[in-house]
Amino acid sequence: MHDLALQKPGLVGRLFRSLKLPLSDPFAVFGLAVYATFLLTAIFADAIAPYDPTEILYTPEYELASDLRPGEQGFILGTTSLGRDIFSQIVYGTRSALIIGITAAFMVALIGSVVGLVSGYFGGWVDAVLMRLADIAFGIPFLPFVIVLAAFLEPSIWNVVLAMALVLWRDTGRVIRSQVLTLRSRGYVDAARVCGSSDLKIILRHIAPNILPLSFLYGSIAIGWAILTEASISFLGFGDPQSISWGYMLQDAFASQALAKQAYYWFVPPGICIILVVSAGFFITRGYENLLFPKLGR
Amino acid sequence: MSHLKAVASRTLQLALVLWAVVTILFLMFRLMPGNPMAAYIDPTFTVEQQQALMAQFGLDKPLWEQYFIYLGNLLQGELGQSFRYREPVAERIFALLPNTLILTFSSLFVAYAFGILAGAYLAWRRGSAVENAAIPLVLMTRAMPEFWLGMVLLAVFSFWLGWFPAGGTRPAGADYDSLWALYTSRDFLSYLALPALTLAIYSQGLPLLLMRSNMLDVMKEDFVTMARIKGLSNWTVVVRHAARNALLPVMTSFAIAVGYQLQGNVVVESIFSWPGLGRELVNAVSASDYPLAQGAFLMIAVVVILMNLIADMLYALLDPRISHA
Amino acid sequence: MTANLLSVRDLKVSYRVGNGHIDAVDGASFDVPRGSIVGLVGESGCGKTTVARALTRVIADNARITGGQILFDGKDIAAIPERQMNALRWRDIAFIPQSAMNSLDPVYTVEYQLNEVLRRRGGLSAREARIRCEALFEMVGIEKGRLRDYPHQFSGGMRQRVAIALALALNPKLVIADEPVTALDVIVQRQILDQLRELQMMLGISVILVTHDISVVAYICDRTVVMYAGRVAEAGPMEAVLTRPAHPYTMGLRNAFPDLAGAASGTLTPIDGAPPNLANPPPGCRFAPRCPFAIELCSTESPSLAEIVPDHRVACHRASEASALREIAARTETWLAHA
Repeated sequence: MHDLALQKPGLVGRLFRSLKLPLSDPFAVFGLAVYATFLLTAIFADAIAPYDPTEILYTPEYELASDLRPGEQGFILGTTSLGRDIFSQIVYGTRSALIIGITAAFMVALIGSVVGLVSGYFGGWVDAVLMRLADIAFGIPFLPFVIVLAAFLEPSIWNVVLAMALVLWRDTGRVIRSQVLTLRSRGYVDAARVCGSSDLKIILRHIAPNILPLSFLYGSIAIGWAILTEASISFLGFGDPQSISWGYMLQDAFASQALAKQAYYWFVPPGICIILVVSAGFFITRGYENLLFPKLGR
Repeated sequence: MSHLKAVASRTLQLALVLWAVVTILFLMFRLMPGNPMAAYIDPTFTVEQQQALMAQFGLDKPLWEQYFIYLGNLLQGELGQSFRYREPVAERIFALLPNTLILTFSSLFVAYAFGILAGAYLAWRRGSAVENAAIPLVLMTRAMPEFWLGMVLLAVFSFWLGWFPAGGTRPAGADYDSLWALYTSRDFLSYLALPALTLAIYSQGLPLLLMRSNMLDVMKEDFVTMARIKGLSNWTVVVRHAARNALLPVMTSFAIAVGYQLQGNVVVESIFSWPGLGRELVNAVSASDYPLAQGAFLMIAVVVILMNLIADMLYALLDPRISHA
Repeated sequence: MTANLLSVRDLKVSYRVGNGHIDAVDGASFDVPRGSIVGLVGESGCGKTTVARALTRVIADNARITGGQILFDGKDIAAIPERQMNALRWRDIAFIPQSAMNSLDPVYTVEYQLNEVLRRRGGLSAREARIRCEALFEMVGIEKGRLRDYPHQFSGGMRQRVAIALALALNPKLVIADEPVTALDVIVQRQILDQLRELQMMLGISVILVTHDISVVAYICDRTVVMYAGRVAEAGPMEAVLTRPAHPYTMGLRNAFPDLAGAASGTLTPIDGAPPNLANPPPGCRFAPRCPFAIELCSTESPSLAEIVPDHRVACHRASEASALREIAARTETWLAHA
């Protein structure tokens, strides 16, 4: 039985292998570990966080637990000016960061890959139209676009995802397109066509597997972009006040004079978390580049 | 000159992009849920008063007519009246543009000067402990939210050490004879220092990484080896041949970086209360001052698109393989 | 003054690869008499380009000269300090690369690149350099109006002429030409080789011509050095080596190439097999695994380079039977049967 499983890896196993995770690069492994840690934190946030992130807390003396330093009264990272537990906010912030990051990255990678595939494979006027659309997307200043969008729509974390899906597919689309063009110029696509394979079959069987690592690479960059964008939007006050995110925490800290109060314990940890998640994406990306384009060297 | 033709066609292409962005902007501001006037129409107004106000802003006409009026106005440089300031949007925006450009260019000059030198140095020291430590560090600066970096710098250098002011462009009550006098004053530089440093730290990563990887590629080129066989000095080989070639794409990226920087300015200007386009955009959107928001957005888009064009032309200009085709 | 401008003695160059190393050149010895063109010939990977680069001491980062002497004008330039070596570069030893396209800096005009060596290395004034530039262009037959052009504006053959002009700029004693005509078509190849020969005779310089193409050697060289797997297989006057080869490898090589003049000389017969992996070379003669004449001794003991007739050296255990072997080697079946 075991041997059989080895011979025919399941769909999950095959998918996993075709992602070609860069496990030989120590930095990429570090990045994957950071992802895994934050993922677990997000899933088990309820169990990890000692308090509700929005709950206003009081000390045993029934005073508002505001502006407590780390360790005081048992609050690991202290409390906000409104008496909320910073550590719990960080833990729950992981959740919205990852939800936004992963969905946005998925959208960007999906849309970009589809555009790139269709554009590169079919060429002609389809290609011309899609690439002009990409040009237009390159002409839109991204952050201002998100701000305006967020201002018109109901405050929600999905605004960032929507804006990214509308604009940021451009980079992925262009890269995938040129990759598809290279693949097409190799003989086996023509060979498959001569054998009577349909376009869909050729794309799915011969081209898509080859661009999957590239999609994943641009997806990892997009995770970082999404988290940074959400943080900026929340910081500027266009975020969803109902959901606790790292950007919201920073805005709260800035508005509550945390800088003047020298409350580093309040605004440094969210920043570190953002840096960790985003740079984890970069490290994985870099591992990929070394794997995919070894000639680039290091 | 096929070269001129290429520039012309690229210019035309970008003009079309600009038109598309302008149209998207128009649709966004008209079709989004919520009447853009709602915030400015007092419920106590009579129906006639409301309609007069709508007519004043041209909002009573059909959409397509509004679109052509909007395009026509844009062509004349007419961006409408700000709801909040009751003054022409164009005037306000052009008054703020210099502040944004000064911040952008000063930070980018610092970032590029540092990034190019450090990138070349790291390429030269490739494989060393310095390089192994520096590259992840640089990647981390790219992973930082700019406004968070600004907050940390503010907390340390302004609130704690008191070396720099916390925001704005001039001390309260200070008056200057001219803009020139303001921009060259010592005070202005101390106000500029922190926001420019914030943006510079964030921006140096791009030229640094680009310069480094270009240098590594160029150092493997035959003409660099030949320069060594010619017995030219190390300096000549590295600077005149390797760096000169590696610099081409880095210089081009400067123009692109200006465009990106303008978007990043939105948050950094807000943190440092820097009276620029980005902060104005945020304030205008918050205050539902749509003409002003639209104008600021458009200005940023124009600079982004213009910089894309300049990047293309710069590359053609600097690379004899294109300029002397 | 020695008769030989250059004498290479037991030169060893090794590359560090991973944890191990590869001896790309493992004891090469040959001479370059003054005023002659010496062809350094062999398959790709035989170490001929490594030898050429070792003579300039500008070698790959992971390469090192691990032994032997390079006697240039009687002085061992393998042993002199880098500063002294650098003083010799281009003034005494110049280089013509394989692809002038990649070896000219694309962002500078040809004039700039000539001026660079003339002024920085030759110490000429701006005026002298300009006159010299024009003279050099005239020498290689390019109109001087093209001095201001960029490398990409020249055709392949023209660029190779520019490379020759560049090499001759400082009147060197030795020019090393690494596959100077490989990238060109046959007609241009001949033009360039003719020009090289003409200039070499006119200036009385010595040239080492590195090539994989034995017909190029036959066309232009005075002497030839045949390399195989990092060692010299045979060396001597070109006529002698090519008409009366004493090493089976040279015999095979001769069968495998058409004439540069285009005259068909029977069928072409490739030598079967591939050169040995230099990370783990076979004991004994390195050609033995591919050699149709190998005997037991060949796979155990390495033959040394010995003079069979005056001025003609060969490294083969059966060198004494050379004339008999030559007859068998001329038959195509010999090389096929071995496969």
